[in-house]
Amino acid sequence: MITVVVVDDHPVVQAGVRAWCALADPPIEVVAWGPDVSAAWLAPGATADVVVLDLQLDVTGPAYGDLKRLVDAGRQVIVYSMRADRDTVLTCLDIGACTYLTKAEGEDHLVAAIAAAAAGTPYTPPALSGAFGTDDRPHRPRLSPRETEVLLEWFHSESKEMVARRLHLTVHRVNSCLERVRVKYANVGREAPTKAALVARALQDGLLTTDDL
Amino acid sequence: MDERRSGAVEESLLRQGRKYALGLRLIVVGLSSTAAVLFGAAPPVALALTGWNLLYAWKGTGRWAPADVAVMVAVGLTQPWTVESDPRGGGTWVLIAVAITLVTYPWLLPGIGFIAAVTVVVGAHYAGTILADPGGWLVNETVEAWTAAEAGLSWALYRFVRRSALTADGIVSRGAQLRRTAAIAAARRADEREYLAALHDTASVTLLMIGNGVLTKREPWLAEQARRDLREIGRPDADGELDLIALLRDIATHTPLRISWHAPDELLLPAVDAVALSRGTREALTNVVRHAGVGHADISVRRDGATVTVEICDEGRGFDPAQTPPRRYGVTRSIQDRMTRRGGEAHVVSSPGNGTTVTLIARLAVPEVRGDEGVIAASFQRGLHWAVVVTVLAVLVLLDLPHLLAAPEAYTSLPAQYAVWGGLVAVTLIAAWARRMPRWPLVVAVAVCSSVATATVRPEFRLGPAHWSEGDAGWPIVLILLDSPVVILAAVLAGQYLLTFAQAAVDGQAALSVAGVVNATWAVLFFQLGIAMVAAVLRGLAVSSGRVLREAERVRTAEEVGRQLHRDRERRWAELAPATVPLLGGLAAGELDPADPRVRARCAAEAARMRRLLGEDATVTDPLARELRACIELAERNGVPVSFAEYGARPELPPPARRRLTEPAIAALATARGKVRLTVAGTPDAVTVSVVARCSAPPDLPDGDGVRRSTVLDGDRWWIQAVWQGAA
Repeated sequence: MITVVVVDDHPVVQAGVRAWCALADPPIEVVAWGPDVSAAWLAPGATADVVVLDLQLDVTGPAYGDLKRLVDAGRQVIVYSMRADRDTVLTCLDIGACTYLTKAEGEDHLVAAIAAAAAGTPYTPPALSGAFGTDDRPHRPRLSPRETEVLLEWFHSESKEMVARRLHLTVHRVNSCLERVRVKYANVGREAPTKAALVARALQDGLLTTDDL
Repeated sequence: MDERRSGAVEESLLRQGRKYALGLRLIVVGLSSTAAVLFGAAPPVALALTGWNLLYAWKGTGRWAPADVAVMVAVGLTQPWTVESDPRGGGTWVLIAVAITLVTYPWLLPGIGFIAAVTVVVGAHYAGTILADPGGWLVNETVEAWTAAEAGLSWALYRFVRRSALTADGIVSRGAQLRRTAAIAAARRADEREYLAALHDTASVTLLMIGNGVLTKREPWLAEQARRDLREIGRPDADGELDLIALLRDIATHTPLRISWHAPDELLLPAVDAVALSRGTREALTNVVRHAGVGHADISVRRDGATVTVEICDEGRGFDPAQTPPRRYGVTRSIQDRMTRRGGEAHVVSSPGNGTTVTLIARLAVPEVRGDEGVIAASFQRGLHWAVVVTVLAVLVLLDLPHLLAAPEAYTSLPAQYAVWGGLVAVTLIAAWARRMPRWPLVVAVAVCSSVATATVRPEFRLGPAHWSEGDAGWPIVLILLDSPVVILAAVLAGQYLLTFAQAAVDGQAALSVAGVVNATWAVLFFQLGIAMVAAVLRGLAVSSGRVLREAERVRTAEEVGRQLHRDRERRWAELAPATVPLLGGLAAGELDPADPRVRARCAAEAARMRRLLGEDATVTDPLARELRACIELAERNGVPVSFAEYGARPELPPPARRRLTEPAIAALATARGKVRLTVAGTPDAVTVSVVARCSAPPDLPDGDGVRRSTVLDGDRWWIQAVWQGAA
């Protein structure tokens, strides 16, 4: 069974994550919960497969330091935050988070994201897709026009079927396109074990070649 | 002083100017009257004037000016008893006293009073000379006229400098305004968005999760959370500050620990710092609960100026920092991150068996304001520079040229004298306009002119009125070396005088006695040194006014930031009050059931609305977002939940294009049933507005204005997109 530790200081979020995980198929066990990151470092949270981390956005700024230390310890971290601005989203991905979910996306995507993180496969929810598709930082990875198109249409529609229909693709092609983009992002910026693993696996699976990177 | 309100630089200039005017007068009169008494040219009563000057400089106010004028009139009229008529005296101590006093009057007497004082004092001096030496050499209209002219020049200098102070004030206040605007905008972004968004976020998370249907019944902790949320969003009166002690006590009640407090009853801090300290304290207390093995902790809070320290002590197990397991290290690192991000500190001191002490230090943030020393100094230098140029040219043209014309018999070579005069005028003009030119060649040119001039004056006329270059060759030097330190200027001036005296001494004869030379030299030198001193004072003044202004600016900025934040907060409160507050209130009181579908729908709608409200940057206006927001509000009032998201920087759109972009979304929202997704994506040359909804078939609207529309139907859901593509 997939195990999860939730770092969030809001009791309603805890209740929500528990409820979604209990209904998941296969079920996911929330083994620990705490208002700060120590829950993820101490038993039983220390051995959970996936960390769901609230950035604890307060006036002192996002807890990037906590995220870095978890990632460097090889943990699979899903950032689950109220904030949806592009800089925060892309910074978390650069640090090495598996994926970034806004609180509003939790109901539809948290369970799927946890399953993907536990399996070490990429997962790109719509908000993250929107952030990728409008990224204009100088060190962003090189994306093909089709990839950007898929990113933005997925962000707009929240439905891969609609994206496939609109762009005359198969849902499978849409998925592999999103995966390729995710791997390209794992290949730039700060080095992290989770990012390296994602790239290595994609190359192994033939999802993309070294030339694409 | 003037009725008009003065700026800070000008005020400080007037204050300093008055101080230095009185000081200069005290010294010059003191030295010249003492010298006269010592040389037997004046009775000891002459020293009484220095006594008066001392009193005036020490205690005098603006109201003493009439008395001062009366004293100077008395000094002028009593000359029959205080001066001796000596044709080789070169001027009396009374003349010097009158001249220096009049030179300082622009700083002591305003406008019309100055003119009256000069007239009265010069008149009294003239009358005194007639009484003391009827028809003798003391009676000299040219000297009186020149004394009045000197006062006039000094007044011109005063006006120049004062105008430059005014300019400096103007520049400074414009600059200050710009910087204040910037500082306020920055503070609003940083503080308001981060802090209030974070606080309101907790409330919108509560509503969002209930809206998602995660709760199936009323929970006691939900009521408590809703009460806390209400408290957080309902702080419209908090003036950008929070009570740290209240925050800490709130945290302490959520731990099983007994706490001993060493803290004031209340400590208001900027919200940013209060939240940072309370988060750090919460982590420290969590560690006490987990690791210390005790049920008690001490919390002490103290404020020392701009530093606030919170100390959390326990007498538990403690640990060896050198052998801390990485996971616990992770916890203390997280406290440190939090504090150092805002320039504070966090220390953890512990050893096995001796408990643990966590120290959190916050340095209160003050808006940074840049100084204006450079602007003020440059403005003063310009003002003084041109004032001195006018003075030097006035001396050469109005005083020296008449001397030269009046006594052709005094010179061995008249052409050489004219050449020297022309040379000094030329040097003055070069120094006036070519300010970047090296200074020393000009000084050498003046020295050469001076020595040629002295060499071509017949010995018996040397150091007398016909020897015009004796002191006045020093004037161009004052101008040339105005920006140099006073010591250098004084040394060069003294060198110039000594060169002339040496030349005269070699040939023996002179027009004046030794006391006369001292008097005559004084009369010019004090004025020249006075200007050097004014220059130095202004340089210092620029620095000190800059500092004063910066302080004042800091306070004004902080106040303005506070006011602005307060307004923003009230605006947000007003937007939350009608719907969010009653909803949270109902949950807090347990009146609303989170499992009730209607309550859930209301919560979902309010959560979405709050998020939009907080996501928007109050400091920028975006007409597209405003238009969309208005239709979303309308749809939500009709019970249609809208999930809205936007990414990317948008270019500013022409209004017709904007309307075409938003039309399909508005049409869809009007007929939508159930959940709607509305998104905006921007790139530098394209903007997309997209809506996915169960709604009536979109009307067939024509493309145009660079906007293309397209639709996809998936089951009963329409996906309608409008894309604006830039002209490129």
